[in-house]
Amino acid sequence: MSATGDFYTMQPKDAPQDMGDIGKLLAANDLELDNQVEVFVLCRQQGRIVACAGLDHYTIKCVAIAEDLRGESLSLRLGSEVVKLAAERGQYHLFLYSAPHNLPFFRGWGFYPLVEVPQLVVMMENSPVAIERYCHRLREQHRPGRQIAGIVLNANPFTLGHRYLVEQAAAACDWLHVFVVGEDASSFSYADRFTLVAAGVKNIDNLTLHPGSEYIISRATFPGYFLKEKAIVDHSWAAIDLLLFREYIGPALGITHRYVGTEPFDLVTNAYNADMRRWLQQAASAAPPITVVEVPRASIDGTPISATEVRRLLARRDFTRMRQLVPDTTLQFLERKFSVAASSTQMKGQIA
Amino acid sequence: MKLRRSMLFVPGDNAAMLSTSFVYKPDSIMFDLEDAVSPREKDSARLMVYQALQHPAYRDIETVVRINGVDTEFWQKDLEAAIRGGVDIVRLPKTENAQEIHELEAHVARIEKGCERPVGDTKLMAAIESASGVVNAVAIASASPRMVAIAMAGFDYLVDMHTRRSDGWEPELFYARASVLHAARAAHIDAFDVVYGNVNDDEGFLREVKIAKQLGFNGKSLIHPKQIELLHKAYAPSEEEVNHAKRVLAAAEEAHRKGLGVVSLDGKMIDPPVIDEAQMTLQMAAAA
Amino acid sequence: MKVIKEAIAGTLESSDLLVKVAPSHKGTREIVIRSEVIKQFGKQIRHAVTDTLDKLSVSDGSIVIEDKGALDCVIRARVQAAVLRACGSQELDWGRLS
Repeated sequence: MSATGDFYTMQPKDAPQDMGDIGKLLAANDLELDNQVEVFVLCRQQGRIVACAGLDHYTIKCVAIAEDLRGESLSLRLGSEVVKLAAERGQYHLFLYSAPHNLPFFRGWGFYPLVEVPQLVVMMENSPVAIERYCHRLREQHRPGRQIAGIVLNANPFTLGHRYLVEQAAAACDWLHVFVVGEDASSFSYADRFTLVAAGVKNIDNLTLHPGSEYIISRATFPGYFLKEKAIVDHSWAAIDLLLFREYIGPALGITHRYVGTEPFDLVTNAYNADMRRWLQQAASAAPPITVVEVPRASIDGTPISATEVRRLLARRDFTRMRQLVPDTTLQFLERKFSVAASSTQMKGQIA
Repeated sequence: MKLRRSMLFVPGDNAAMLSTSFVYKPDSIMFDLEDAVSPREKDSARLMVYQALQHPAYRDIETVVRINGVDTEFWQKDLEAAIRGGVDIVRLPKTENAQEIHELEAHVARIEKGCERPVGDTKLMAAIESASGVVNAVAIASASPRMVAIAMAGFDYLVDMHTRRSDGWEPELFYARASVLHAARAAHIDAFDVVYGNVNDDEGFLREVKIAKQLGFNGKSLIHPKQIELLHKAYAPSEEEVNHAKRVLAAAEEAHRKGLGVVSLDGKMIDPPVIDEAQMTLQMAAAA
Repeated sequence: MKVIKEAIAGTLESSDLLVKVAPSHKGTREIVIRSEVIKQFGKQIRHAVTDTLDKLSVSDGSIVIEDKGALDCVIRARVQAAVLRACGSQELDWGRLS
């Protein structure tokens, strides 16, 4: 009866002594430890950790079972315990990323594939219908037109640079759909970022602003611990994110063009934009290709407007210089929220 | 006479076991809502047991539900599920005194009336798991006409007694076993021996079964299906015992035919208990 | 009964099923079933589920089921458990269950 043995949950910070054993089990399965795991489900038999599965918000990570126990029942019990744990933490819609050859294993856990980068990574969710229902809701926002644009913004915070990109897309196309990245992995909370974007695009008539969703993935939350070559983690994340856009979001809204800001000297941005062209435009897919339109970033005095610079100015409370980089709506919001009169504890820890 | 040699424990929350345990044909099946089920899953397990009790496959096997103890928030809901589901016996864990049986009984009657089940239909059994339980065993065993069995539970009892299991004749359990057995016999109900937890040790299991049988226990609580056949075989009467039993019953029948008030065999008088025992022997032989 | 929050019951193990209940955004009742034995038993599974929901008067909600070959009685128990959890219900009206 391989499902016996004690199952229990633990938080890495509370039981550092277990982490060594977990690390060994993961290593034996060619996996690394992901430091963002908040809680683990573990199984011990005769003192030995024989199975583990971690949870980071709504993403399951670091799943490993000792080789001699890879029968079905232990695996299914492990999956059940993880799902129960997630539910106790209020998470019912779960995701995971895995090497594609593990797809059948996770199908047994009730997970269904969303998108796959062959031989590299597959993204799965624990519902046979969630993505379908999401697309159905998106389709309700479908607008007619020959050219339908899409932009995905982190907007941390919303600057004149973002504004410029949005204006360009709206002017060139019949309709523009703007998405704000949903995860709270940025300095500004999702709620604040969304508020600023909404205020900043208010007077553009042919625009729909969409809330963030679990189907637009920020780089910070993409787990790369199971990819052997660290160099390809960025590309894997980009591929997954862009394939979701190409195969689900784009078709639901009829998006024909994806607009993105570009910067000739920024290697990171250029690498990402190259990935965009590859997955949205070039890759073979049942979904229609989406043309990537790179718009040179708006600049002030020859320097591209960057949200990073705005955050730097905010840390110094230099609202005067900031005025050049952000729309009035953003400025007023920041002045109100981060005024000199506000307590210093509010400022600390909010903006790095 | 109901044979009660094997009582198989089945965790109430385990779908696979609930779906298949009847194939092993134990004398009784005990669905557990207590220690086998985590607090968060008590509600779900309760419904599983309620539904399983009504499955046709369990109609031919005596069913038992181990409810949670009377000191928990769960036991009354457990009773509703068990009685409405049609359980034969309710097993109260960690029974300390007769008062708990009385309290249990009152609720059982209330629920029977509420679901139109004949009052008195649901039977009870008590598990003795502590020193208090042992010293109150006599009162517990005779606390209600619904009582049909009393079981000795080793693990918690030994913790209470500040000792642990040993090999051999297990002196640490001797007094408890003897007390529970005497209480059962005095109250004319059945007695169950402790669970043997090491499912990989058949020899150890059979050693313990031998002790229990020799002491006079009707049967044993079991936690693995394979223990059922081992137990039934160990309890099976020998050929000699079977032949003797047949002769006893033949003598009883002949005496009855002849209208004699006294039964005798080989020059000795045969009392009614001996005749009952002979019947039980043949029953066990048939069911081995 | 009114589904007010998300809830699950059951497991992914063989002979069991995992039931997920959530409030419906559209005021409809939607039942989605996935099973290895959907061809042979799909109808029976669906019947057990809808009958259980009807008896509990659940007229709207999203019910998603991942079945691993469960018997009827197990299906009913898990659906009942998930629904009661999703309705935040402590007290059971036993008359509604069979």
